[in-house]
Amino acid sequence: MKQIFVRPDRCMACKGCETACAVQHSADKTLFSAVLQSPPPMKRLFVEAAEGIRMPVICRHCEDAPCLRACISGCLYRDDHGFVRRRKERCIGCWTCIMLCPFGVITRDREKHIAVKCDRCHRLDVPACVNACPTRALVMAEPEEVAADRRQKAVRAESGG
Amino acid sequence: MNYIIIGGGIAGITAAKAVRRRDAQAEITMISAEKTCPYYRPLIPLLIEKGDADVTYAEDPISEYKINLLQDRVVRVALQERDVVLASGKRPGFDKLLIATGSRPVIPGIEGISGPGIYTLRTVDDALRINAAVQGVKKAAVIGGGFVGIKAALALIRRGIEVIIIEQLGQILSRRLDARGAEIVSEALARRGIKIMTGSPVSRITHDSGRITVRLESGSTTEAGLVVVAAGVRPDIEAFRDSGIKTGRGILVGETLETNVPGIYAAGDVVEFRDLLTGRPCVSGLWSNAEEMGRIAGSNMAGDRIKFEGFLPVMNAADIAGIPLVSAGIIEPVEEGHETVTDDRPGRYRRLVFRGDRLEGALFIGDVRNAGIYVNLIKNRIPLGGLKEKAASGDLQYVHFIKTPQPGRLAV
Repeated sequence: MKQIFVRPDRCMACKGCETACAVQHSADKTLFSAVLQSPPPMKRLFVEAAEGIRMPVICRHCEDAPCLRACISGCLYRDDHGFVRRRKERCIGCWTCIMLCPFGVITRDREKHIAVKCDRCHRLDVPACVNACPTRALVMAEPEEVAADRRQKAVRAESGG
Repeated sequence: MNYIIIGGGIAGITAAKAVRRRDAQAEITMISAEKTCPYYRPLIPLLIEKGDADVTYAEDPISEYKINLLQDRVVRVALQERDVVLASGKRPGFDKLLIATGSRPVIPGIEGISGPGIYTLRTVDDALRINAAVQGVKKAAVIGGGFVGIKAALALIRRGIEVIIIEQLGQILSRRLDARGAEIVSEALARRGIKIMTGSPVSRITHDSGRITVRLESGSTTEAGLVVVAAGVRPDIEAFRDSGIKTGRGILVGETLETNVPGIYAAGDVVEFRDLLTGRPCVSGLWSNAEEMGRIAGSNMAGDRIKFEGFLPVMNAADIAGIPLVSAGIIEPVEEGHETVTDDRPGRYRRLVFRGDRLEGALFIGDVRNAGIYVNLIKNRIPLGGLKEKAASGDLQYVHFIKTPQPGRLAV
């Protein structure tokens, strides 16, 4: 199955992915209504920058997801696609998932008092963040393709060709 | 293969799932003394507020993982016969056994501490008893200012009665919060109308036709119609004391979570094992640790050899009276050699405790964003390398782990 891949060398930190994510999770799913929505819709991924690197940090939907395992209320679950999602009505806002996510991609919805995380745009073929990325720093690809591509690049670099 | 799991809490349930994933043919029998099983134990304070709150699993693991559930109480384990003696007289035999009995509330040795109107909060039944007892009561006293006591107090105040928390130490949530943290949380509780008395142990409790008087060593007294004793928990090992299975404060286990008796494992609150940071033996009492131990014990029972490194006896997330907080590791170091950094601003308090090149403690109050990055540094004992300064600033993000010399387990 295709997965979201991040290519930090292509990221310009334009935050288009963040905007697209927030819009996708707004009431009307359009930019105009999203900016007027109160409270504003929340993004589920975060463009972060450090010395010499910029990249969006996204939920991995970990195979062995610490957030899911530690959820004390039965809110987080793995759906049929393998995505870690919320049963929103079950969240009690205990923040155990935030405590255990090593990527820092779960946040608090202060209005609704529930945890917020990436749902992988489960209704869309291509997630909003990937769709919005102008430099293809975010791409959908088969893990095998990415691995083959990386190997090839490494060999080329080594052989000078 | 016959597997018996004693206890239907999170350790037992997670172990049963792990066994089933590895062994489709396994006979898995779970013995639980509780009528309601399984359920999410951390949710039971909700039952004090609302007796019909849903605390059960969204997907029932008993049917999904084909577990035979027996409502019964274990009297003892017979090692020679390799069976378990139950209160009903039944003696199911096992090839592999998991002790996951969890813990029981500590009842301090105080005169008058048992009797009508005095409750503990550990099970669904306990919570429902408190729920029923609130009717007609004007004031409740909670003995113990830990998480259970505080959650009980918040539930009771939402029922519209007066609540006082009595904590014998100088602050609430000791070991989990430093003095400043306790002050912030205490103020939030006070805003909800909860009174807190710290610094004096209870000396005596007297009963007078339904009215309970709690007397403190300091001389002050509190009258209450209902008392919740929330003075901590201890491993539930009564049934195993003279069985030949080694016990200390809890059931003693090795790194695979097997006891001294081959084929008998233990997981969760009942276990005594090493503190990840100090290496000293301790008991956990925490849900997420029990989940991890259950998964490892279950896998190992079914043939794996996964090592359990130990746990952090402090690793809590909570939302208390509208204030989010995360606390993990060593918050108030008692030994030499720790450096402490605090950051106190309106709406955000952070305390980070370093020892050499490692983070050993983190307290986030008000703003818990990225707390997981810090907790993972503590839990996985990751050397900080060049990131110590960044970590101390409180602004560490995932991106800082990319292309660092010692990325540890967090790197891609």
